[in-house]
Amino acid sequence: MGSDFYQQSILPYAGIIIKICRAYTHNHADFEDYYQEVCLQIWRSRANFNKQAKWSTWVYKVALNVCLTHLKQHKRGERRFASDALSELEFDEVKAFDSDEINQLYNAIKHLSEIDRAVILLYLEEKSYAEIAEIIGASSNSIGVRVSRIKERINKIIHQMG
Amino acid sequence: MSKSIEAMWKQGFVDEGELSVPKVNDLYNQKSQNIVDKLQAMFALNIKAIIIGCGVMFIVMTMIGAPLLGGYICLLVSPLIYIAKRELSKSYDLSKGQSSLDYLQNFDLWLKSSIAAYGAYYRVAYPLLYLGMVTQAIMSQAGHKVLALCLTQLPTDYVLFDVPYYLWLVILLVFVVVVRYSEAIYRFDLNVVYGRQFKKLEEIIADMRELKGV
Repeated sequence: MGSDFYQQSILPYAGIIIKICRAYTHNHADFEDYYQEVCLQIWRSRANFNKQAKWSTWVYKVALNVCLTHLKQHKRGERRFASDALSELEFDEVKAFDSDEINQLYNAIKHLSEIDRAVILLYLEEKSYAEIAEIIGASSNSIGVRVSRIKERINKIIHQMG
Repeated sequence: MSKSIEAMWKQGFVDEGELSVPKVNDLYNQKSQNIVDKLQAMFALNIKAIIIGCGVMFIVMTMIGAPLLGGYICLLVSPLIYIAKRELSKSYDLSKGQSSLDYLQNFDLWLKSSIAAYGAYYRVAYPLLYLGMVTQAIMSQAGHKVLALCLTQLPTDYVLFDVPYYLWLVILLVFVVVVRYSEAIYRFDLNVVYGRQFKKLEEIIADMRELKGV
């Protein structure tokens, strides 16, 4: 993009965009595609931004929408939903980051449903329940319970992965 | 699991330092190629469909006793196949060694000149097709019956090739309409089949121009 818009309005949020895109892709080429698509979509839809909301909230919302939409379009074969049948999970060891712990956490996150992935990423980024609810379009009352359930499940998966 | 996931996350990204941000300076490379590939594939498929359709048309026309009209339609369609193949091969020759925007703009120019070439063909082809159908209708047995019925109901001394003058007037009127609107009909057909892709191409070019500040 190379424009002022990218420097000022996207680059400061590149970290979260990267983290979100990583959670929805399985290889570097897809990750770069998703990242670029998110940047473009933020740029294209900048006119729709409601200035009463936070820009960061808007960025998260767009990033998640793009990833979820792309995932639906490009899905081939099985869909992975949260399931208690952990023994049947196949753990794909994606080395997206330098830190082994983060890679392990990401691989666990990738076994969650698409929406649960969004919820936990936003939670880990220290967004409030109200903000998470606004971004994913759910009621804020259910977020707390949902986060607890997701954390429990991630811990289970990590434990299984050994 | 001694460490909480919150601690893993925080610690992990502290160690990670700055996340490596992908380059976004050639955003539309892949998109440009995708839209061009898609349109080229559609055009190639269209050529095959025309050739197959032509063959089927000839067989059907022969079966219903109008082999001459079938042959005539095939003859009319041959230039279209030639034009389509020629135009498509031009698109493959477009240079890819430029920026995505230049490439797409060239593709768009090629598209417009192709549509103009097809438009010129259809301006002639549709009226000729209509004349062929009229000739077949007049020469067929069913046509003779209709003409006889017309002359019985509305007798007249002004007859040419067994066709009363008032039918010639109708034929002429329809011919004028076909001549006048042949290209419009073609463009309507074109939009039905390719409209969405053309719109997408326009949107991508507009996006790229705005990105580049053109």
